[in-house]
Amino acid sequence: MIKFIVKRILYILPTLFLVAFLVFFLVHLIPGDPALVMLGDEARPEAVKAIKEVLGLDKPLPIQFGLWIGKIVMGDFGISIHDNHPVLSSIADRFPVTLTLTSLATIFSILLALPCGIIAAMYQNSGKDYLFMGATILGVSIPGFWLGLMSLLIFSVYLGWLPSIGFVSIWEDFWQGLRYMLLPSITLGLYMAAVVARMTRSSMLEVLRLEYITHARGKGLTEWTVITKHALKNAFAPTLTTIGIQFGMLLGGAVVTETVFSLPGLGKYLVLAINDRDYPVVQGCILFIALIYMVINLAVDIFYSYFDPRIEYK
Amino acid sequence: MIGLGIIILNILVAVMAPWIVTHDPMKIDIRNRVSAPSGVFFFGTDDYGRDIFSRVIYGARISQYITILSVVVAAVLGVVIGAIAGYYGGWIDNVIMRVMDAIMSFPAILLAIGIMSVRGGDLYNVVIALGFVYIPRFARIIYGSVLSLKEKEFVEASLAMGNSDIIILFRHILPNCTAPLIVQATVSLAYAILAEAALSFLGLGAPPPTPSWGNILSDARNFMVDAPWMTVFPGIAITIAVMGYNLFGDALRDFLDPRLK
Repeated sequence: MIKFIVKRILYILPTLFLVAFLVFFLVHLIPGDPALVMLGDEARPEAVKAIKEVLGLDKPLPIQFGLWIGKIVMGDFGISIHDNHPVLSSIADRFPVTLTLTSLATIFSILLALPCGIIAAMYQNSGKDYLFMGATILGVSIPGFWLGLMSLLIFSVYLGWLPSIGFVSIWEDFWQGLRYMLLPSITLGLYMAAVVARMTRSSMLEVLRLEYITHARGKGLTEWTVITKHALKNAFAPTLTTIGIQFGMLLGGAVVTETVFSLPGLGKYLVLAINDRDYPVVQGCILFIALIYMVINLAVDIFYSYFDPRIEYK
Repeated sequence: MIGLGIIILNILVAVMAPWIVTHDPMKIDIRNRVSAPSGVFFFGTDDYGRDIFSRVIYGARISQYITILSVVVAAVLGVVIGAIAGYYGGWIDNVIMRVMDAIMSFPAILLAIGIMSVRGGDLYNVVIALGFVYIPRFARIIYGSVLSLKEKEFVEASLAMGNSDIIILFRHILPNCTAPLIVQATVSLAYAILAEAALSFLGLGAPPPTPSWGNILSDARNFMVDAPWMTVFPGIAITIAVMGYNLFGDALRDFLDPRLK
């Protein structure tokens, strides 16, 4: 098992390098000169040249890349052109907000999706099932940012039940924090809930057809025991993979949700940095999010083995 | 069938847009700015007095155009890349699939945002960004299919007949991969509409005053409280369009699956 984990970590290293390569050259193709952005369009050419020397922007691209990779490995993601703060520390300040949002969205979607998927599988082709299928199709079709806007309109503006913008950390004040995060989490999590619910239903259907389930029922076990103790564990493995992949996609979706609800998270920071042509921040944020995504996929691969011990690790 | 019906309706609306619209979608009419839905302006007007109904109809055209074009780009490139990796194997396979893995290491919308920030807001740049982001999905599907098909006897026979690799790939192997390819295409079309709308909403998509559904919603944000109609109708349009592709894709998957076995 440890060998498998080490092997998987080693496997992602070349991919990580490629990811860093992609990020670096993507950002360095951004039109506009960051030195001019810092000093203003009216800056003297000598000042622009001096700044470029200080930032290392006058060196050839491959050398800039090598220097950048060296710094990343040491934990130096550069300094923001906009506010002169170290990028990594700004990311560290904002990432907890994004993490809270994506975690709450995941919890919400699992709490909604699992029971719905299981019930739909148990009552296949009944009215409940058709209602379920209709709801999930709607769930994957509604644009998240529109759902966010509409829920703001209904629950904040018209009904006044929930706050519209702002953020309180759940670690400082749990219930207030939850109030502020409820709408954003549901907005972000609904798509994932629909996808996970469908996956749960189809994998439950496959498992419920197997002979050992018939055997369990034949033994006189209650349907609840059959489902929770026998069927769910086997059905959960593909669902877990889906949850893992979707969690990663939530990190991307968080960019839009944070913009709609004005949350001080990483996504909003990235969008602002793109508008400001703040290279170090854009590079740092995209690389950081990609890293987290890869770590999550690795964790999903490892946890999968818990639910399906038949997997062999060579 | 419902899905197919919705898709056809969407495409018809997009094509017939110039004849369906009641007003010029770009025409500014400050006297009628932010007015509620009425007999003259079916969906109301926006902050420049532009008719939202006409903008939503034209938005269908822009969205379908970008979506279909970007999926075609992704499919063509993905098929070629996946086929080459699957057929030749060895270091070509390793390098290509590692690059595909690297691209898939980014959440799709994030990579699209990154590419749009490089290339700037322009219709064709959105096509390039979305197309690039979806290439790995097609490449993987074709890669898997080609890997399993290249061991079959008909490929061996074709080789024995002296056919070149290209003929074997394009005339024999790829036609057998169409089922998963079509399913992936409908899934990608659904994602692409949502992605394009999200990009435009963030100001990184089709440039204003081009009426894209995302653009209209982005403008509507500032008037949400006073003019909720600006928010409601474009969102419904997006939902219906995406639902069409999802319904059709689901039905297609169910229809094609037994045949694959």
